[in-house]
Amino acid sequence: MAYSLSHIEGHTVAAFNLELILIAFENLEVRYAASAAPALKGLTLSLERGIVGLLGPNGAGKSTLLKTLLGLLTPSRGSGTVLGVALNGPEAARLRARIGYMPEYDALIEDASAYEQVAFWGELSGLAPESARDRAHEVLYFVGLDESRYRPVSGYSTGMRQRVKLAQALVHSPELIFLDEPTNGLDPDGRRRMLDLVLRVHAEQGTGVILASHLLGDVERVADQLVILDQGQIKAAGSMAGLRKALAKRVELRFLDPLDVTQEAALAELGTVLEARNGLYDLELTEADPGGAFRWAEGRGATLVQVTPRHDRLDEVLLRALHPQTGA
Amino acid sequence: MPIYAPTLPPAPELHQGHPPALVLMRFDLTRLWRQKIGRFFGFTFLLVLLWKVARIYIDHLLQTNQAFKPMQDFAKTILTQGADFQADLLNPASYLLWFLVALVGGGLVARDTLYRVRPLMYAHPVAPKDYLLAKLGFASALPFVILLPFALLPWLMSLLLAGLNGPVWATAPLRLLPAMAISSLLMGSLAVGASSMASTPRAGIGWVLGLVLGAGTLASMIHGLTGIKAVDALNPIMLAETWPQLFVGVDHPMVAWLPAVLGTAFHIGLWTFVAARRTRPSEVVI
Repeated sequence: MAYSLSHIEGHTVAAFNLELILIAFENLEVRYAASAAPALKGLTLSLERGIVGLLGPNGAGKSTLLKTLLGLLTPSRGSGTVLGVALNGPEAARLRARIGYMPEYDALIEDASAYEQVAFWGELSGLAPESARDRAHEVLYFVGLDESRYRPVSGYSTGMRQRVKLAQALVHSPELIFLDEPTNGLDPDGRRRMLDLVLRVHAEQGTGVILASHLLGDVERVADQLVILDQGQIKAAGSMAGLRKALAKRVELRFLDPLDVTQEAALAELGTVLEARNGLYDLELTEADPGGAFRWAEGRGATLVQVTPRHDRLDEVLLRALHPQTGA
Repeated sequence: MPIYAPTLPPAPELHQGHPPALVLMRFDLTRLWRQKIGRFFGFTFLLVLLWKVARIYIDHLLQTNQAFKPMQDFAKTILTQGADFQADLLNPASYLLWFLVALVGGGLVARDTLYRVRPLMYAHPVAPKDYLLAKLGFASALPFVILLPFALLPWLMSLLLAGLNGPVWATAPLRLLPAMAISSLLMGSLAVGASSMASTPRAGIGWVLGLVLGAGTLASMIHGLTGIKAVDALNPIMLAETWPQLFVGVDHPMVAWLPAVLGTAFHIGLWTFVAARRTRPSEVVI
């Protein structure tokens, strides 16, 4: 059964199979008691199994969305499912055993060793004590903490602390993990290792991953789907490839001679002119077909010598999703 | 350079473990063990317990050995007898027990607040009621377990030495155990409620001591001003000492039955409510 995915400022991006749906919610609204404005404003979205990048500036609502999906916050309106289970329904507690959560902040028990606390989180997820202890060793070894796992985490470096947090999210082999800013505070090498682990978890375990970050490079490296949030609203969502295709219709047109005023005005027939300089015109095409530009030039008596597709980087995609009016 | 494992082994079976409250309590016990605060308290309580047991033996000697016959009357004037003696078994340096409860209980919730692990607990299959149950259970079990030998060892000693005619009533545990349970729950709920208001374990200890001593002072002041003795039921220390007296039937307990029931219910209800409010998910995630 096909399931309509979502919107990008009015564009339909893709359709996924319901069997593959990790998360789906409709008209989801979340309010904090202390604030009059909702933190999430009527979100409608569904995401298929894979690595989903949840992108947005600070305060966009990423953490709020993750907490809502975990059942830590109750939606004031709307409904949703995670792994087919209704949010805040009677099965929500059992659902949390199928989810791993790596919070943004340091949620570590400072007076305990990595081994002790990972085993503890495993037991809280429903593992038998012996299984939890065995699994703690395995998962800490997997994330690269070997002998240091017996030391109290208060003496750990930032990278080690992040890996302990990832280990506790993985200890019970969840079907889905929420990673909230997993590369916070890491140096470039630490970031690369952390993202490698995320890719391995998905590739080897088939675990769905929701990765919330404001670091575009991280999301670009690992995610195959993207959701862009800003001010509690979804600005764009869909597969990375589909998103680029939908948002990146920018081309650069080079004419042999500068266009006259009439021709420049007629460029609006092709799309929106973003920038014009010395015979070069940046356009947002109405149609994705660049060949239309040659036909237009022929009809207008202009000599078009080059059409260069502008393959947007993710930061451009993000900025344009956040600020569509500027086209930046 | 970390060595990464080739891959993770297959997932173990879920839903095979212990209930979350039990897991949390066990983890708190491990933490307590690591704090190594038991040496001083263990030694002190052991001395008090030895004294209690020794008194049973002294009492036995006074009753059975003719050589001590002249001392019997004198001993009766300085040593508590009858119901007072039974109630006194559960008075192992009351202030010291409260101090231990403050020291341990004050950090129970506050430590989780400091380390910000409570939201992560709720991201697991742990309900707020599991969390509250675990903390209340642990904070209440601690004084109960400490009091247990004080109720049972003298009783056992008395039975062995003098049978049913010993200084400790044969039915004493039946009266003392419920009293211990109520007093322990009172101590536990107050400690957890106070700890939930603190953001560090040290502040939690301060909150517990402040509430216990503050409520006691307030009760004394109101009692002094109004002359109403029932107001003493606001004093948690006095309440904890009163329950054994009430259950064994002391002639003049520190607080009468009705004020004791109302005062205990007030404290347990209030501090459990405070702890529940302060540890609910919406409180900890914002």
